[in-house]
Amino acid sequence: MTSHDENLQKTPARTWLKPGHLALTLGAVVVVLLPLLFTSRYTTNLLILGASWGIATLGLVVVLGYAGQISLAQAAFYGIGAYAVALGTTRWDVNWWLALILGLAGAAIAGAVLGTTTLKLGGHYLAMVTICFQIIYTLINTNWIAVTGGPDGISNIKRPPFLVPLNTAQRYAWFALATLCLVGGLVWWLRDTPLGRAMRAIRENELAAEALGVDTRRVKVIAFVLSAVVAALGGAIYASGYLYISPDSFNFDHAVAFLAMALVGGSESPLGAILGATLLTFLPEWLRDLKRIYLVVYGCAIILVIVFMPEGLWGYVRLAGRRFARKLTLPSAVRTLQVGGRGTAGEEILRVEQLAKHFGGVKAVDGVNFSVRRGEVHALIGPNGSGKTTIINLLSGLYVPTTGYMAFLGRDIVGLRPSRIAHIGMARSFQNLRLFRELTVWENVLVGAQREESREAETRQRALAAIEFAGLSDKVQEICRNLPYGHQKLVELARALAGEPDLLLLDEPGAGLNQTEKQELVRLLRRLNEMGLTILIVEHDMSLVSQVASTATVLNFGKKIAEGTAAEVLRHPAVVEAYLGNREVALGV
Amino acid sequence: MRMRLGWILGLAAVVFVGASFTLASAQAKPIKLGQIIPMTGEAAESGKYHKQGAEIAVDKINAAGGINGRKLQIVLEDDQTTNPGGVAALQKLLEDKEIPMILSSIRSTQVQAMLPTINEAKIPVAIGGTNYGLTHSGSQWVFRFRPHDGMSAKVIAKFLVEELKHKKVASIHASDAFGNGGRDMLVPAVKALGGEVVLDQGYNNQEKDFTAVVQALKKSGATGLNTYMTFGTDLGVLARQIKQLGAQVTWVGSPSITGVDSRNLAGDALYGTYGVTDFHVDASPTSTEFAKAYKAKFGQEPDLYAAWCYDAVLVFAEAMKKAPDLRADNLRKAILNIQKFPGAEGEYNFDQNGDGLDHYHIVQNVNGNIKYFKTLRVAR
Amino acid sequence: MAESLSINGQLLFAGLAIGSVYALVALGFVMIFRATNVVNFAQGEFSMLGAYFLFSLWHGLKLDYFAAMALALLIMVGVGLLFEISIYYPLRNRTFLPVIIATIGASIMFQNGALAVFGPSPEKVRPVVETVEGTGGITLAGVFFDYQYVIILLVTVLLVGLQYLFFEYTILGKKMQATSQDKDMARLLGIPVVYMIALTFIYSSLLGGLSGMLVAPIFFVTHKMGATLGLKAFAATICGGFGDVRGAILGGLALGVIESFGGAYISVIYKDGFSFLVLIAFLLLRPQGIFGEKVAEKA
Repeated sequence: MTSHDENLQKTPARTWLKPGHLALTLGAVVVVLLPLLFTSRYTTNLLILGASWGIATLGLVVVLGYAGQISLAQAAFYGIGAYAVALGTTRWDVNWWLALILGLAGAAIAGAVLGTTTLKLGGHYLAMVTICFQIIYTLINTNWIAVTGGPDGISNIKRPPFLVPLNTAQRYAWFALATLCLVGGLVWWLRDTPLGRAMRAIRENELAAEALGVDTRRVKVIAFVLSAVVAALGGAIYASGYLYISPDSFNFDHAVAFLAMALVGGSESPLGAILGATLLTFLPEWLRDLKRIYLVVYGCAIILVIVFMPEGLWGYVRLAGRRFARKLTLPSAVRTLQVGGRGTAGEEILRVEQLAKHFGGVKAVDGVNFSVRRGEVHALIGPNGSGKTTIINLLSGLYVPTTGYMAFLGRDIVGLRPSRIAHIGMARSFQNLRLFRELTVWENVLVGAQREESREAETRQRALAAIEFAGLSDKVQEICRNLPYGHQKLVELARALAGEPDLLLLDEPGAGLNQTEKQELVRLLRRLNEMGLTILIVEHDMSLVSQVASTATVLNFGKKIAEGTAAEVLRHPAVVEAYLGNREVALGV
Repeated sequence: MRMRLGWILGLAAVVFVGASFTLASAQAKPIKLGQIIPMTGEAAESGKYHKQGAEIAVDKINAAGGINGRKLQIVLEDDQTTNPGGVAALQKLLEDKEIPMILSSIRSTQVQAMLPTINEAKIPVAIGGTNYGLTHSGSQWVFRFRPHDGMSAKVIAKFLVEELKHKKVASIHASDAFGNGGRDMLVPAVKALGGEVVLDQGYNNQEKDFTAVVQALKKSGATGLNTYMTFGTDLGVLARQIKQLGAQVTWVGSPSITGVDSRNLAGDALYGTYGVTDFHVDASPTSTEFAKAYKAKFGQEPDLYAAWCYDAVLVFAEAMKKAPDLRADNLRKAILNIQKFPGAEGEYNFDQNGDGLDHYHIVQNVNGNIKYFKTLRVAR
Repeated sequence: MAESLSINGQLLFAGLAIGSVYALVALGFVMIFRATNVVNFAQGEFSMLGAYFLFSLWHGLKLDYFAAMALALLIMVGVGLLFEISIYYPLRNRTFLPVIIATIGASIMFQNGALAVFGPSPEKVRPVVETVEGTGGITLAGVFFDYQYVIILLVTVLLVGLQYLFFEYTILGKKMQATSQDKDMARLLGIPVVYMIALTFIYSSLLGGLSGMLVAPIFFVTHKMGATLGLKAFAATICGGFGDVRGAILGGLALGVIESFGGAYISVIYKDGFSFLVLIAFLLLRPQGIFGEKVAEKA
């Protein structure tokens, strides 16, 4: 084994998460002790309630905290699990565990349905659909008496058969708390898996995630499914804990409560969720004396938390814990970035024929033809509004062409999703930076590097190579929004490169950079080109263009007006006129 | 060493003093009765009445010397008008081993939530919920101090069909446990007396527009109307629309129709309607006496919320007198042996299921006041 | 034939009547959304508060009914302002999610505050047209017209008309429109954006309060009266087209009529469900609603 491989084996890429590690272990210990310390039935029952609510809230961590999708239907999924277990052990007379599986399956399907309906929606529309779902669930739950028992609810629910009989409240409390810990651990583990990273990327910037190869549709649906399944588990725990359920434990108010628990505790962290759930379980009990104003305080608290503590209580803990976080030490890259050296030089990598994009009456792109050969640095230039960025968006799949043909490596890419296009080897950067601002540099680049077919080790390698190439090795742990603009642009570049594309689309990479930074950019681009990467660059800075581009296409009003080598094009009269207006005016005649 | 000795002595002193206090007060130690009421949440208003009703009974008992020389004392817990809240309140009370009996909820769904805990704790619990199943689920520890919904339906049927001769009856009911349960009991009861329920119309609580319901009512040809409704607001809207749309029916409603809320909101739209209720001031000498004491202390007329708690305390106290060792199984037997006990709600005769009453009063809304009409007894 | 005409006529009037209540509340939603891109989940509670203020002034302080109404509206001005300052303003630069949640929190606070102050018993308020005896309405051609509902319909029409005139033909109205279309540009043109937004919240609060006061004699005043109103009105705006005034009105009326007929001919119990099913259908098939515009995200 080489020393490099040894380093790999020991990659302590997760060491800086130690505070969470520690907290989880501590939490587990506390959880084991709790039912021993508090033996009154009253407190034990509260522990069961708190555990079941905690599990439901953990579901929200996945869909809201990680994937950034608001869900006000969590109580409905919680209810599906509860009713599955209740009906299973009473009316249908099946094994508890089988009933649980049925409930989880039912919740998964419901979650998938909900997730799919929300794909095209965001923001308040999403909120509204989830609310509708929740309300319709409650209506059916209350009125479909033949199946659900209606408002009478279901009594005599049984406990799950287990290694030891769970016939006392204390034992069941352990069972519930152990389940809570298990789910908490799984949710915590999910965070740094490719799926978890993909979710968080979507939360930060869905468009960028899609362009980097994350199948945002699938991931969002998965997020909903996971949150639903987890909630259903919580509901099952509740049902067998209290042995009686009725529809009013699963209504809209409870969905709001779960959301409140997630927000107060901190929706991005499983520990935060558990903290929030604990608080909102025990607070009503401790504040029994406050009586009527308790709920007023509760509503007020939600507002205050949102305004002043957007990351919830756990956000504070994490901030404090940062001081104790160990520095992330990454090994050096095993290999350099492989952005070329595939295929034959000079082959046509990109072909665009009669490409057109109309927005209503506006013809942003009006029948453009050009092609890019492997090994070229091809510039796309033209005055503002000439259609350059639109073409990049068309190529990367963000827009669908009105008419026209686009081929990448001989393959028709019209109508492909951006994530598929990224997968087949075309990466891009954005005119207005689209970094995942709350994630670290390392996490940003990892998202760019990850592919379904790769294992985590390969993904790491690519990311390391990209980071080293961009010279960001000493900044991997920084949160992107804290970086200066120039470094942010480098991160965006590294992120796009981490997928080791064949073709890189750059949309105004020089915008906002000072002269020194621009020179650095030129150097990087030249090196990339030497390494074999084909680049299509949209740029305004002519000197930058002339330094890196070998060929150029000039657009004006959505049409191509000139094409050729960079030098030719820049002297072309039509081009000068387009930029400077009438030639005579420009010359002062 | 000196400090440690000091600690020990101090501790011992405390123990001695405490013990002596306990011994001294053992003689006058009160008997505790637990009471679960909604102090917060939707039903908080009625919680006040439960508390006050119990208080009148406690005053009466203590004025007469208490139970075997010991005063009676109520220990309150808040159920927050939620199911888990009810269970939590119950468990809190159960922690106190000195509480031999408990008064619990009037909301059937809450009682259902508490049943597992009640059955496990094996302690007599008084309930006010009227859902039939509460005393027919196999529990031996539940004692009901109001007549159950099966009886209200039979009384309504008897009055509407037999006495007022309405063969065609409409049932408008909330689509909750109470409403559906009432409808379930009404249909066979009407049929058994030779009538027919020509309209079975459910609606959701908090309905704002009963146009479709009233239209269905008119279309059905019913001359008698029975409602099982939970909320006063719904009653107010329905009553108004029945008047506006000109539906001519004789209306006998579930107890909510006699409530202050309904009368206030519906105004003259409810004049002349009948209701069934388990409590009316003029129904018996005991109810009149209770109302007098209640009014004297609290300055307002009592209602069924207060009355059943009054009765529960009296009956439980009676059981405690008969079973002075306060053991749960003896208390239980004592309650079951109670026959012909006069309460504010009526005469209590406990059967094996734990139901104490078997009648309902018919009352009529005369220009906004609830006037006693008659009492009807039915089979349990 | 005549009978079915009068039955359907009644259902139609009932639907339009309830629909106009939804429309009024929806109007308040839309105004705030157009100006600030904020969805105010507490809009229904403005109605509830308006009703309670009217009740306490008229019944508690025994003021003249119309004076009480005017005063209650004045109080709603304050409520709108307070709401803007404490909830919108601190969150104005954040994404939509915190704001939605904050308004949900406000809704919980208002509901339970009302519960704590006024208690759970529903309260009664007199209608605008007080009839000593009788039904509070008039029966024409077999259809009963409740005076209060007629007034609500008239007020809705009047309000929409006045609003149109205000926004199209007054300078202030134009300024507010400008603010809602492009805050930054409006600021650059010297329009005091902060005041415009405050005005918008105040106006929505007034709309909400007025709708609550008008609806109070019919629905009665409870702390929960705003909750379903708010949700239904929200559904109406989505179906009508979010951000479009015509959509809010049309959506509200349509929803009311669908509920009315759906309740009569399909099921009274699942009446609420119809609105939400229609909403889901729109969200899936045409999320921009009837009048709305598709909004694309600029890459």
